[in-house]
Amino acid sequence: MIDAALFASALGALTPILFAALAGALCQRAGVFNISLEGTMLVGAFAGVAGSWYTGSAWLGVLLAVVAGTAYSLILAVGHVSFGGDAIVLGVAINLLAVGLTSFLIRTVFGTRGTFSDPALQGLPDLDLGGIPVLSGHSLLVYLSWLAVPALAVLLYRHPWGLRLRGVGERPEAAASLGVSVTRYRYGVILAGGALCGLAGAQLALGNVTLFSENMTAGRGWIAVVAVMLGRALPWGVFAAALLFGLAEAFGFRLQGIGLPQQATDAAPYVVTLVALFVSSARIRRRAST
Amino acid sequence: MKTVLITLVGALVLGAVLLAATGANPLEAYRAIVTGAFGPDGIQDTLAYAVPVVGMATALAIPLRAGMVNLGGEGQLVLGAISAIVVGRHVPGVLGIVAALAAGALAGALYASVAAVCETRLGVPLLVSTLLLSYPAMSFAAYLVRFPMRDAGSSLPQSEQLPPDVRLPAVTDGVTVGLFLIVAAVAVFAVVDARTPAGFEARVTGWGPRFAAYAGIERPGLTVRLLACSGGLAGLVGAVVALGFPYRFIDGALITPQYTWIGLLAALLAAANPLGTLVAAVFFAALTSGGFAMERVTQVPRELTAVLQAVLIIFLAAATGLLRRRRSPA
Amino acid sequence: MTQRHPDPPAVVLRGIVRRFPGVLANDEVDLTVAPGEIHALMGENGAGKSTLMSILYGLARPDAGTVELAGRPVAFGSAAAAIDAGIGMVQQGFALFDTLSVTDNVIFGAEPRRRGLLDRRAARTAVAELVERHGLRLRPTDRVGDLPVGLRQQVEILKLLYRQASVLILDEPTAVLTPAETDRLFDVLRGLAAEGRTILFVSHKLHEVLALSDNVTVLRDGRVTLSCATADTDRAALAAAMTGRDVELDKVYPVGSPGEVLLSAQGLTLRGHPALDDVSLELRAGEVVGIAGVAGNGQTELMAALAGHRRLDAGTVTLRGRDISRLPVRERRAAGLAHIPEDRAEAGSAPGATVAGNLAVGFQRRLARRGILSPRAIRAHARTIIERFGVRAASENVPMRTLSGGNQQKAILGRELTHDAPVLLVEQPTRGVDIGAIVQIHQRIVAYRDAGHAVLLVSAELSEIRALADRVLVMYEGRIVASFTKDEATNEALGLAMAGGTR
Repeated sequence: MIDAALFASALGALTPILFAALAGALCQRAGVFNISLEGTMLVGAFAGVAGSWYTGSAWLGVLLAVVAGTAYSLILAVGHVSFGGDAIVLGVAINLLAVGLTSFLIRTVFGTRGTFSDPALQGLPDLDLGGIPVLSGHSLLVYLSWLAVPALAVLLYRHPWGLRLRGVGERPEAAASLGVSVTRYRYGVILAGGALCGLAGAQLALGNVTLFSENMTAGRGWIAVVAVMLGRALPWGVFAAALLFGLAEAFGFRLQGIGLPQQATDAAPYVVTLVALFVSSARIRRRAST
Repeated sequence: MKTVLITLVGALVLGAVLLAATGANPLEAYRAIVTGAFGPDGIQDTLAYAVPVVGMATALAIPLRAGMVNLGGEGQLVLGAISAIVVGRHVPGVLGIVAALAAGALAGALYASVAAVCETRLGVPLLVSTLLLSYPAMSFAAYLVRFPMRDAGSSLPQSEQLPPDVRLPAVTDGVTVGLFLIVAAVAVFAVVDARTPAGFEARVTGWGPRFAAYAGIERPGLTVRLLACSGGLAGLVGAVVALGFPYRFIDGALITPQYTWIGLLAALLAAANPLGTLVAAVFFAALTSGGFAMERVTQVPRELTAVLQAVLIIFLAAATGLLRRRRSPA
Repeated sequence: MTQRHPDPPAVVLRGIVRRFPGVLANDEVDLTVAPGEIHALMGENGAGKSTLMSILYGLARPDAGTVELAGRPVAFGSAAAAIDAGIGMVQQGFALFDTLSVTDNVIFGAEPRRRGLLDRRAARTAVAELVERHGLRLRPTDRVGDLPVGLRQQVEILKLLYRQASVLILDEPTAVLTPAETDRLFDVLRGLAAEGRTILFVSHKLHEVLALSDNVTVLRDGRVTLSCATADTDRAALAAAMTGRDVELDKVYPVGSPGEVLLSAQGLTLRGHPALDDVSLELRAGEVVGIAGVAGNGQTELMAALAGHRRLDAGTVTLRGRDISRLPVRERRAAGLAHIPEDRAEAGSAPGATVAGNLAVGFQRRLARRGILSPRAIRAHARTIIERFGVRAASENVPMRTLSGGNQQKAILGRELTHDAPVLLVEQPTRGVDIGAIVQIHQRIVAYRDAGHAVLLVSAELSEIRALADRVLVMYEGRIVASFTKDEATNEALGLAMAGGTR
C-alpha cells in the first residue's frame, strides 16, 4: 500500500501545484492576493503544448509556456497594481478568461475540441538520476521545482529584494516613504508568479502527460491558493502543504486500486487538506490565547 | 454608467481583434450573438440559461453583501439537484414536487452551513472551507449516479428519470415554473436587503467588519445564517433544474455550463446589489446563449462569449479601481 | 541657540501652491530654515502642514513654487530622491515593520550588500555604532513590534541618521510619548541640531513648540499667518494664528455632582502584551472619569474589555447592578453602554457608506416598524442627529469620508449620545479634530454628564483629561497606579504617575 511508487507518483503530482503555490506565496508576501494561479497555469499548459507542437522541441514549448504565463499575468499586474482593481474580481475573471481563451484557441489553432494530443507531440523526458528510488525518473522541471523552494527562501530572507518585498507586503506606505517602489515590487512578484505558473502548466501538459485538454488544471490552482494559506506563505510551509496534497492524491489513486470508487478517492485530498487546516488553525488559536 | 459603456466598447473591440485574428468577421459574429440571444428562437434559450445563472448569482450575492465569499456554489448546487431526484423518486405528485424542491434547498443550506461553521468555530477562512467542501460534494454525486442511483438502461453516468407526475410544468421550451420561484427568491432578497434590519446588518458587515463588530453585530451567527440562505438558494436552483427536462441528474451537466462561476462574476460585478446582480446575470446569460447561436451560424467557437465576458469584467474592475483611487487622493 | 552661519539656508520653500479637488492645501507658502536650526511648523488639522512636508520629502509635487536645498533648487520626483539629497522624515504613526528587527528596519531600502546578498554583519555593526554615538537605547536584534512607543520612535530617528540626513522632518513626534520621553527626545534633537543638522518639526502642541524650537511658522487654511522667532511670541499669539480667533486656552469645566454607581469593574485581568492587571474602578452617574496614561499601557484593552470586544481572563463588570461580564457586545449596548472608539475610520464608522447609513447603525431595530426598516426613516433619523449636533455635511446622503475629521467625530458622537445610554465610553474624542470642533465636542460630553450619565474618558491629551474629568485615574503597565481629584491632577503629578511613579 505505502511504497516507493506511492511517493514517486506523489512527487510527480506535486510539481504543478508547488510551482503555482510558490507563485502565490511570493505574491502574498508582497501584499497581492493572487487567485489567478489556476487560469495562468492553464494558459501555460496550452502554450507549452502549442510551442512543442510547432517547434518540435519540448523545451521550446516550456519556454513559450513561461513567456505566455508571464504575459498573461500582466492582466492582474496592470488591473490590480496600476488601476487598483479588486484582486478577487480580477482573479476570478482571469481564470474564466483562461478557460474560454484556451478552449477558443484549441478550436481555432488545432481544429479540435476537448483534447489535443498527438503521438508526434514532444513531451519532457524523464531523467534517470542513477536509479535512486522515488527521486529518480522525473522530468527536469520536477527537480527545478524542488530547487525553487530553497532558492525562494534565500531570496526572501537573505537578499535585499526579499527584505523590500516583505516590507512592501507588510506596510506598503512605510516602504514607499523609504523610497521602495511598491508598484515595481508588486509587478515583479506578479510577473515572476506568472512565469512560475507557466512552468506549472508546462509540467502538467508536457511532463506528466503529453497533451492539452480543456480545463486540464482541474482545480490545482485553487489547491495552490489553499497551500499558500496553509503554509502561511512561507517557502517551506507551502512546500509541506503542497506535498501533503500530493501525497493524499497519490494515496487516493492507490485506494482506487483496491476497489474504492474513484469518486471517493477524488474527494480524499480535499478532505485531508481541510483537516490539516483545522489542526493548523487550532494550534494557532491555542498559541494566541496564551 | 459612462464607465460601463466605455469598458463594454473596449471589450467588444478586443473581441473583434481576436475574431479578426482567427479569420472570422467580427460584425457578423456580433450580430449573430444579438439575434441568437434575443431573437424569437433565441429568447427561449436565453431564458432557459438565465434561470440557473440568475439563481446562482443571487445565491452568491447574499453572503457577498456582507463581504463573505461562498466559493462552494457548485457543490451546493449539485447536492440540491441530487437530493431533489432522490426525494422525487419516492414521493409522488405535487407533494413530491414540493418535497423535492424543499429537499434540494435544505441540502444546500446544510452543506453551506457546515462550511460556515468551519470558519466560525474552527478558524478556516470561508473562502477556503467552501471551496474545499465543493469538490467532495461533486464527487459524492458523481458516485451516486454511477452506482446506487444509476440508470440501468444507459451507459452514461446519470440517474433514472423522474416519474411524469413529479416534474415541473413547462412555461415555454426549456423553462419551467421554476422561473417564478427564482424570481421570487430575487425579490425576497431585494426586500430583505433594502428594508429589514437583518439586511441592514449584512450590509454594515460588508462596509467594514470591524465597524460591524463594534456595533454589536455578531459575525458568527450572521455568517451561518447568510451561508445557509446562500446554499439553500443554490440547492433550490439545483432542484429546479433537476425537476425540469431531462428530469434526471447527469454527472457534470450542472458544471459544464459554468452557471456558478458566471453567477459569481455577476454578483461581484454588481457588488452584490440584488437588482444589479439580476441585471448582470441576465446580461451574461444572454451573451452566453447568444454565443451558442453564433457558433451555429458562423462557426466561430462559442467560447468567444466567455472571453468577451471575462474581458469585460477585467476592464470594469480596472475602471472601478481607477475611479475609487481618484475619489480618495489620500 | 541658533548658530549664525554665513552658509546659505538649509531649506527654502518659496511660493508653494498645492491643490486637491475642492481644496487649496497650500497657498503661496514661504518657509526658510537655516542650518542647525530647529523650526516648528504649526497649524490645525487641514491647515496644510503635512502637505507641505510631503512636498519637501518628495512624496508630492507642488503645483507651483520652488524648493531649494542648501541654496540649490531641487525638484524631487520621489521619496528616494529626497532621501538621497539628505532629507529624512519621521511620519506620524511611524513607518516601521513590526515583524522585522531594528536592524532590518533601519537598513530597509539602503541595505549593505555582500556578493549580492544582504550583509547582515555590516548592518548590525553600523546600527550598533549609531546607537552608541547618539545615546539611544536600542538593541539591533530586537523585534520592532515588541518595542514600546518611545523606543519605536528612536528607531525612526536611527533610520534618518543611518542615511546621514542633514534635514530631519518630524511629524507630531510627541503625540505618543510620556513627558519624560518627550524630554529625552528633545535632548536628542538638540544634540543633532548642535551637529549642524536642520530640524523641522510639525506640532500643534503650544508648550512644546515654545520649549524646543528656535523659529516657528504657523499655517491656517493653507496660508502662512505667522512666521517669527519663538522667543518673540507666546501661546496666545500662536493659538490665535492657528485658529484665527481668540481661543480660550485650557478651559476647565466645573465638576459634576456624582450620584449612584452605574458601572463597576472589579479585578479585570487580561493576559497578553499589553495586559490588564487587576483593574478595578467605579463610574457614578453625573461624573466624568478620565484615564490618563501613555498609549500602550492598557487603556485600549480596558475599553475593549468593558465594551465586550475582549473576553476577560478574570474579573467582573457590573452595569446598573447587572453582571455583564459574559455578555456579547450587542447585549451590553442594549443594557445601557455606548462606546466611541479611538479608531474612527475603521471601527467607529464606514467611510465609504453614507452619513445616513453610518448614523443608523445601532438603531436598525429601533427604527424598524413591523419588521420593515424604511430608507426614509433612516434618513430622517440621520437628519435629526446632524441638526442637533451641528454636523456640517452637504446632506445625509453623502459618503461619510467627505466630511472633515471634526464633523465625522461630531456625527459619531451624536450617534452614540442619541442612544441615551447610562454609561458612555469615549476614547480619544478629539484626535485629528480642529479646535473649533474640539470645544463643541467637549461641551457635548459635559452636557451628557450633567444629564445624569456616567462617562469614562480615555485620552492621550492631558489638557483634555484635565479639562473634562472629575476624577483622573492613571494607568501604567496595565494597572491603575494613581487616582486624583480634579484639583490634585496637575501636569506634574500626572506626569510622574504616567511614568510609573505611584501615589
